Amino acid sequence: MFVLVATFAVTALLPGDAASVVLGEQATDEQVATVRHQLGLDRPLLDRFGHWLSELVTGDLGRSLVTGAPVADEIVRRLAATAVLAGVTLLVLVPLALVVGVVCGLREGSRIDRALAAVTLFLHSIPEFVLGLLLVAGFAVHTGLLPATAAGTDLTARPEVIVLPVIVLVARQLCDVARQLRIGLAEQTRGPVAEHLRLLGLPERTVVLRHLLPAAAAPAVQQLARAVEGLLTGTVIVESLFAITGLGTGFVEAVQNRDIPQVQGYVLVFAGVVVLGNLAADLVAHRLTPRRELVTW
Amino acid sequence: MVSRALGWSLLAVPLLLAVAGPVLAGPVVSVGAPWQAPDAAHPLGTDVLGRDALTVILAGGLPVIGMTVAALLLAYLAGVPLGLVAAGRGRLADETVMRSLDLVLAFPSLLVLMVLAATGHRGPGVLIPAVAVLQVPAITRVVRAAALAPGCRTAVEALTLQGRPWWRIQLGYVARHVTGPVATDAGTRLGVVLYLLASANFLGLGLPADSPDWAVVIERNSEALYTAPAVVLVPAALLMALCVGTNLVTDRLLAARRVIT
Repeated sequence: MFVLVATFAVTALLPGDAASVVLGEQATDEQVATVRHQLGLDRPLLDRFGHWLSELVTGDLGRSLVTGAPVADEIVRRLAATAVLAGVTLLVLVPLALVVGVVCGLREGSRIDRALAAVTLFLHSIPEFVLGLLLVAGFAVHTGLLPATAAGTDLTARPEVIVLPVIVLVARQLCDVARQLRIGLAEQTRGPVAEHLRLLGLPERTVVLRHLLPAAAAPAVQQLARAVEGLLTGTVIVESLFAITGLGTGFVEAVQNRDIPQVQGYVLVFAGVVVLGNLAADLVAHRLTPRRELVTW
Repeated sequence: MVSRALGWSLLAVPLLLAVAGPVLAGPVVSVGAPWQAPDAAHPLGTDVLGRDALTVILAGGLPVIGMTVAALLLAYLAGVPLGLVAAGRGRLADETVMRSLDLVLAFPSLLVLMVLAATGHRGPGVLIPAVAVLQVPAITRVVRAAALAPGCRTAVEALTLQGRPWWRIQLGYVARHVTGPVATDAGTRLGVVLYLLASANFLGLGLPADSPDWAVVIERNSEALYTAPAVVLVPAALLMALCVGTNLVTDRLLAARRVIT
């Protein structure tokens, strides 16, 4: 509910008047007033919010100010590309972070730990658009190994166009998730639980994989939820850079056109994903955390 | 040791360029056709607007650094007092400040900047305060946590019993106590702000399209990556050096702090 109110408030209370944008610079005051009336911009704020909300419930996000097409259709049309991009990124990110985190966590302070920490921090530091451009320059321009842009292609038909965007997205998020896991695991291996399990004679493999890793993963899962937020931001930039027709480019276009209904739609989708991501992470983390009933005195 | 030296040297190049560049560079004006190949007069060629690429790049570091520093200063100017109020003015003030700041945290930063731009609020005059506001919740948390640390609390209680006024305790004792954590936080936050501002400028949410800012130059010239690579890759490399250098240096400093404490 808060998301709904905030989405509307932010876009409605800061109007860089939509009507004058639709008509262009030369419009007369009368024309602006007519369009404002057509768009319902002259009605009271609360009235407009109620109207927007009631249509939202029926899945109607209004119509684009520029093309006149329903916003919901536009979002659905663009959803697939972004979903594929984000999905593949998570499929690469999670196992990779797991491996890096476990390797570093078990060999804390070793050469490989420090090397991986430096590499992931290095990758994390570079803004997506800079890394993307450098990769394009390296892989697409000179060697022609990978396509530099996805313009005009279907992601499912040509899977290779997604390689560079996914690398860019993973590179930025890997550091934080792997680092959380590493810290957690390193603490766990030194802790009394690990000591106890080893004294029971359990093989080190079982100790680490069955007992320590789940406990260490809880903060890493929380970090993953924050990574989802970062991925959303990342897709906006990566899609612009590689010309992928997804939600990110749609959002940027809507912002450039000051197409308020579209912007509202995109904000709603993005904010919704963040909320859902956090919720999912909370649930998973709750499952992973050892029960604490005994200490709630 | 290696990564510290690497970090400082990565940081030094773009910083020096940013500060000295505007002095060395001539006026940023159009001198010829767009995307000319490099020659004697224009060692890096020209950019999309036909300006000498080297001049543009020399002039473009200052907006990057300037906006980052301005946003950071503004953020701490608001965040530190808020944190002190939350920590030292009782339950009600604490709850009010922290809960209302939680609202700011609910949205991804770039999303907020995009919505602002969509409603016609763009340009550095909006971007810098907006980025600063987005940092305030995290800063307030750090300050509040440091001010509520056990060692600090006891001393404050003692000073309060001695009848010192609230603001003198805060300014004289707590503020000094908070300096360390704030400095640590500033290091990490520098990287965050740098990233956010560069991304916003790349998406055209901040500076105008003819600004020599590195991120803007990269975006405007990205389609010339094949024909005039220098004008894209040089600012990209500089931005990368700046971001990586910042993160390496603060990461090293953080590690050093942890060892001491």
